[in-house]
Amino acid sequence: MPLERALIRTDHLVKNFGDKSAVRDVSLTVQGGEIFGFLGPNGAGKTTTIKMIVGLLRPTTGWVEVAGHDVQREMRLAKAACGYVPDEPNLYLKLSARELLRFVADLYEVDRAQVEHRIEELLRLFDLSEAADDLIDSYSHGMRQKTALAVALVHDPKVLVLDEPTVGLDPKSARLIKDILRQLAERGAAIFLSTHILEIAERMCDRIGIINRGELVAVGTMGELRALGAGTSSLEDIFLNLTGGAEYAEIAEVLR
Amino acid sequence: MRLRAEPASRLGPVVWKLMRLQLRISISGFRHARPRQKLGTIVLVVVVLALLVGAFLASAALLRFLRSPELAADIPVAGLIAVVPSLVLTSAFLAILLTGLGVLLQGLYLARDMEFLLSAPVPIRAVFISKMLQAILPNFGLTALFGLPVLFGLGASQGYRLLFYPLVVLVLVALALAAGGLSSLVVMGVVHVVPARRVAEVLAFVGAVLSLLCSQSGPLASRLMFASGQASQALALAARFNSPWSPLAWAGRGLIDLGQGEWLPAAGYLLLSLGLCSVVFLLALSSVERLYYSGWAGIQAGTRAKRPALVAHRASLSTPASPKRELALLPSPIRAILVKDFLVLRRDLRNMGQLVTPLIIGIVYAVMLVSNGGKIAPEVIPAPAWAVQATQNVWLYGNVGISLFVGWVLVSRLALMGISQEGRSYWLLKSSPLTPSRLLVAKFLVAYLPTLALGEGFLLVVSLVQRAGAGTVLFGALVVGLCLAGDSGLALALGVAGANLNWEDSRHMMSGTQGCLSTFSSFAYMLVALGLFFAPPVLLPLLGVSQTAGQVLGLLLGGAVAITCAVVPLVLVLPRVPLIGEA
Repeated sequence: MPLERALIRTDHLVKNFGDKSAVRDVSLTVQGGEIFGFLGPNGAGKTTTIKMIVGLLRPTTGWVEVAGHDVQREMRLAKAACGYVPDEPNLYLKLSARELLRFVADLYEVDRAQVEHRIEELLRLFDLSEAADDLIDSYSHGMRQKTALAVALVHDPKVLVLDEPTVGLDPKSARLIKDILRQLAERGAAIFLSTHILEIAERMCDRIGIINRGELVAVGTMGELRALGAGTSSLEDIFLNLTGGAEYAEIAEVLR
Repeated sequence: MRLRAEPASRLGPVVWKLMRLQLRISISGFRHARPRQKLGTIVLVVVVLALLVGAFLASAALLRFLRSPELAADIPVAGLIAVVPSLVLTSAFLAILLTGLGVLLQGLYLARDMEFLLSAPVPIRAVFISKMLQAILPNFGLTALFGLPVLFGLGASQGYRLLFYPLVVLVLVALALAAGGLSSLVVMGVVHVVPARRVAEVLAFVGAVLSLLCSQSGPLASRLMFASGQASQALALAARFNSPWSPLAWAGRGLIDLGQGEWLPAAGYLLLSLGLCSVVFLLALSSVERLYYSGWAGIQAGTRAKRPALVAHRASLSTPASPKRELALLPSPIRAILVKDFLVLRRDLRNMGQLVTPLIIGIVYAVMLVSNGGKIAPEVIPAPAWAVQATQNVWLYGNVGISLFVGWVLVSRLALMGISQEGRSYWLLKSSPLTPSRLLVAKFLVAYLPTLALGEGFLLVVSLVQRAGAGTVLFGALVVGLCLAGDSGLALALGVAGANLNWEDSRHMMSGTQGCLSTFSSFAYMLVALGLFFAPPVLLPLLGVSQTAGQVLGLLLGGAVAITCAVVPLVLVLPRVPLIGEA
């Protein structure tokens, strides 16, 4: 159940790379306790928006607030409240999962008395205990993805931002992540999740935002999006109508 | 897994297609390169061609000179000339064999197009051959660049028959293929036991150490003063390369016989040599299905090699839950970066290859200094007494010079690449609540602390051997500490300004321009700082002022510059830190 406290707010967010506009005037709000699904075709500006929310990119104009703190002006407080899982789990390959978690816990200045207990808990939760002392270099993609998730959770963030978190995960791990996200939301955290799997967005997310060519073309609950879709009932149809993908159905028809 | 062998008739066109694809990628890369890069490539090609012609002319002239009757009276010229082809061909074979190990490992196992190629309807042998050819072609080109002019020069100077020249090329090609085949067999065998990435790290480490040892062997050898008799021993050793029992000498002997028109022995040696090369190459080819595919598939399966319990235990000990007392004083984010960087640097052998450089250089130059006894022989410098005294004063601080040199090389690696070494994992730091100033302090300490320890360690050892006075050692220690702090700050600031996070191989993380700029600025800084540190203690005693007073004045002047350089550049680049990784 969403709480009446906005933990992520973006206001007229714009990001230009040279003369190319990647994100245009994106304004959205995610409340505490809410899972927000962020959808869009490839190159629509999802990852750029996410990177601005977590402070990896500076907006050209506009601003982002995380847990009530401006990401640019109060960088330390905003980032301390946020956990981030990138689309590609680029981790330090010459550290073990345990060492990496310890490193990140220290970066976030987690209380030393709690660190070891928290690390053990996360390793067990993500089924990484057995490989905890092996170098990440030797991990499979799925194990790296789970390690990245553990990293994002080590400081118990109020806001969790995930870019395609289920890519490369087996069904068991994907289910585990869905359960964890639901639990975090129930504890009052705001979850911002980008995904291409519409079924996940439809079943998990309280609200959904659809971005196309850098512009936020729709935001709302499934019911609100259905109302927008004028008769279309599935998220896939709504998504394709809004992002201009419906014409591909004709191509599929030709190929059949 | 065993695949059905493809008929040879189908292999050729597919290999050619794959090679053409690679050529097209190279041409496309050149066409889309920046004008500056295009110009650089064209200049490089022209320089290489000029080198080729120069080497040919020089070899011909040298070998003609060796034939002169005056020289022949003193040196067994005929024997020396007979060794040349075997020496050149053996060197070419060994060069391709050894360099091929790393290049083939990269091409056969670590290249990113392997999934695409192996899933395409292309025979695996064709993929293997095209990959092997791509891998050995640059090395073959390099060895041919130096080998062909020498061998052609030999032919021109000795008036060899025309058939000599095409057969030189044929033999070089055959040896290159055999060396490539042998390298690939070794690589395929090793990858079955050790993970490919680990092998690549070990090869990079060994390569870096060997090339550095080779580069430093000149000054060390001249310092150790080899006896003239050892030179003739070296010549005798070279003659052994031409033994008729050595397969590597067969090609060289055959070429000489061919040039001189002795057809029967020439045919025998050349057929033996070409036959052996073919056998090695075909053996590599026939092992492809069994070794290559299964080895590559093993990598893709992501089979994790279990670390022994002891190693895992040690790993956990290396990053204790409770930090060491000296590190506990630091804020936890700074401490975390220190521990992480030292672990990563230590575990990646490619980094270790770069880090052992200062150690080797330090040892070489320390040997040189110590072998002089830290004194200058009076007869070496026919100069006025005051000049000898001043030089003696400067020489007294030679140990400081070596320590600084050792530290300077280490700082160039640790500080300049401090940010770039984060690579694509930088998001972990950037998305954390780490402030830019803390990041810079941490990276400064990562570069400065080991450099300081190494520099001071060298200073102490060399000073003990030289039996330097306590005052001189203390002064030297302060100079080394302050100088290296300034250099660390300067190099780290340049590293922030030119940070490159997008690299695959740690050897490519720094651009040439950045390296040049860093060397230049660091050299200018060292010149000024050392001038200020040492001018007072060297010159003031000549005016009758005590050396201690000179040392204090030197520390004040040089220390001010060093501290300024340690702090000001970092303050200047501080606003750039949040922009790292934005491009």
